[in-house]
Amino acid sequence: MMKQILLITDGGSNVGESPVTAAAQAYAEGITVNVAGVVDEGTIGEYGATEIADIARAGGGISQIVTSRQLSKTVQMMTRQTVAGTIRQAVNQELRQLFGVNDVGSLPPPKRGEVVKVMEEMEETMSLSVALLIDASASMKPKLHAVEEAIRDLTLSLQARTGRSQVSVFHFPGDSQYSYCVMDAGWHSNASNLGSLFGKIRMRGTTPTGPALLQVVDYIRETCGKIGKIELMDEPHASGGGSSEVRSDNVV
Amino acid sequence: MLRAAGRARCGVTTSSEKETLARGTEIRGKWNGKVYRLERLLGVGSNGQVYLASAGPRVHCAMKIGHEAAELQGEVNILASLDHSEKGRQPFLLDVDDAVIDGRKIPFYVMRYVPGVPLKAYLKEHGSHWMGVIGYRLLERLSHLHEAGWVFGDIKSDNILVGEYGRVELVDYGGASAIGRSVRQFTEIYDRGYWSAGSRVADPAYDLFAVGLLWLHALDGKRLVQLTRTLIPQNRHPRELMKLVKSNPKLLPVEGWIEKALTGQFASTRESTREWREAVRISQRPKPVDDRVPGWMAGLLGAAIVLSTTLAAVWLLD
Repeated sequence: MMKQILLITDGGSNVGESPVTAAAQAYAEGITVNVAGVVDEGTIGEYGATEIADIARAGGGISQIVTSRQLSKTVQMMTRQTVAGTIRQAVNQELRQLFGVNDVGSLPPPKRGEVVKVMEEMEETMSLSVALLIDASASMKPKLHAVEEAIRDLTLSLQARTGRSQVSVFHFPGDSQYSYCVMDAGWHSNASNLGSLFGKIRMRGTTPTGPALLQVVDYIRETCGKIGKIELMDEPHASGGGSSEVRSDNVV
Repeated sequence: MLRAAGRARCGVTTSSEKETLARGTEIRGKWNGKVYRLERLLGVGSNGQVYLASAGPRVHCAMKIGHEAAELQGEVNILASLDHSEKGRQPFLLDVDDAVIDGRKIPFYVMRYVPGVPLKAYLKEHGSHWMGVIGYRLLERLSHLHEAGWVFGDIKSDNILVGEYGRVELVDYGGASAIGRSVRQFTEIYDRGYWSAGSRVADPAYDLFAVGLLWLHALDGKRLVQLTRTLIPQNRHPRELMKLVKSNPKLLPVEGWIEKALTGQFASTRESTREWREAVRISQRPKPVDDRVPGWMAGLLGAAIVLSTTLAAVWLLD
């Protein structure tokens, strides 16, 4: 199973552990961290922009700074790209160990074709869990509609995959001084069951990005079992579908 | 040939990837040994550049140069598979190879070159009365594709090249998906999921939905773009699109067709092709003479009859 955290924020953190360290820890535990920076007016500031890029780099993921209009597209693209990237990495490593070639691109084109076919099969069928972590500090308030829309759009895309996919949603800071982050929705695989996400958020000023990230890592550990490196043989093809609870819809 | 928005494509490009190669650059394949000369850039996308190239005097082809071998190979696989499943037409894929330019290894593949202009530009130049022929040819092309087990996915003006006399060819098959899989590449405003009209699972109806939007976009683009800007996400629905379709006289002949496409009511792409032809054909027939008597003329005739009988009655009774 592949695990990702997608952080959506609009600026720098200001409380608790460094988010860069937190992301590095997540990556060490087999979770890729991507970051979408949302800026509508003005700029995100040099500090915020650097931090966003750093978090993603530490988390083995990608980052992009976009307007709320582009958010849906970006979130979806980053998720897919990370899935492809994770598989590519795993496959390249196998190739190095088994055949002593550097990467897929070093194979002659006909062989390359075969390998890529397998990789795409895995992209489509491997189960995938994405935890979305939303910065709900005061400045994000006008962007939360776009965020909610992006989450729905992502869920819709994941629902179309053959493999099992699920999404959970968190926001930070929490309501009290002692909670860094709050879960808005546990693992879901159907966009229509998500309900209204950020209806009753009380906006507060702090941005404890690092502590919130670590809390999400804890959640993934607890709910997704042992986290290790991704294994190439994840599970048999999901088609046919034994367990009914969280399979993607294949019907229109 | 430009890559689309929705795909899992990298937005992070380094400056060296953005540079274009000069005209006359020689590309020598490492594995197959073929030599090509670049003529001009045809299009740039997020995962590569497409050039018009020559493989000899007057032998033109389109060459896609990518950044990432595995990613490009994914497209090559689709093209090869299409060539295999749609026998009886000219193959798309001509060569797959790597070359070294300025010490950098670059993967590339070579396709048949398709001359033509994007659909919107063609209609602008030649007039919207070409819609019937182009629409028919497009649906024919999609019928073949769907029967071979593929969904094109990213239907939009830029990916539909129209040549002489409304001949249609699709380009950018890299975004095609096998039926039953998730749609790998799409453009938001053409997407069925975006309009809350269904899933993103690749099925023939997904393409037909996009074709419906294509015509709305091609003939009423301003209002469509305006609608996407003003509508809140919860209200995105085919009925909002139909309001635009129904108030545009140019779309009148295919109004019923678009409605069926947007609501997924065609049983097959063949059926949709047949119905497109019929819809366009009916609009071309001259109207029966009776229908052309305007209401006011009929009213005047009636009034005249009433008047004359009254006069006759008055005269007789006198």
